[in-house]
Amino acid sequence: MPPLKGNFLSAGKPTHKLACFVQARTLRDAYKREQFAKFEVERKALRYIIRSNQFTPRQKTEAQLQLTQLPVSSQPTKIKNRCTVGGRGRSILREFKMGRFPFRLAALAGELPGVKKASW
Amino acid sequence: MRVSCRIFNTTFNPNGERTGNKILRERLKGPTLLEYYPKEQFSMREFVRGFPDLGISDEKEEYRVQQVEEHKLRGKGKPKKYKLGRERTAGKNKKKRK
Repeated sequence: MPPLKGNFLSAGKPTHKLACFVQARTLRDAYKREQFAKFEVERKALRYIIRSNQFTPRQKTEAQLQLTQLPVSSQPTKIKNRCTVGGRGRSILREFKMGRFPFRLAALAGELPGVKKASW
Repeated sequence: MRVSCRIFNTTFNPNGERTGNKILRERLKGPTLLEYYPKEQFSMREFVRGFPDLGISDEKEEYRVQQVEEHKLRGKGKPKKYKLGRERTAGKNKKKRK
């Protein structure tokens, strides 16, 4: 068997322009999402081979190796939600796609329907 | 058991073997993940060109054009283009012959 090549995160740009706050990291994340969508079916097929008992152990290990050889950028765990207003990577409110501070500003300005400041 | 499975159209798996159907049952996540960042449907330039009646101007583009003109006034415009192809090579050869 030939030696396995190291698999590194490949750089790239998304095919579409983004209409939100654009930063190198948001672009990178958008690219990863596209890559994941591109390889999703292949990944799923390999995962199916690995999980089912209809295949021989050899076939399974081969599928495992192939799965590791898929591009790193197409791994679903590499995808990270980012703030669409400021590009922040942490403390993102998933429903609003915003970081905590833009969310607070928008909520206090009354731009988010149904969001109200709590006080008791 | 086998007959009941056939009748009710369920899978016959008495030993509880792993078939991996769980993975095939999952939905594709890609399309929803792609929707996270809004895509640009049209650029500002296209919008301004498409609807000239609205009287909208692209501020960024105007600023850029203004900057370019200022640079030109200061003599910092784009440099002259070098001659390409035959004109350039012809001049060189003549010099060499002399």
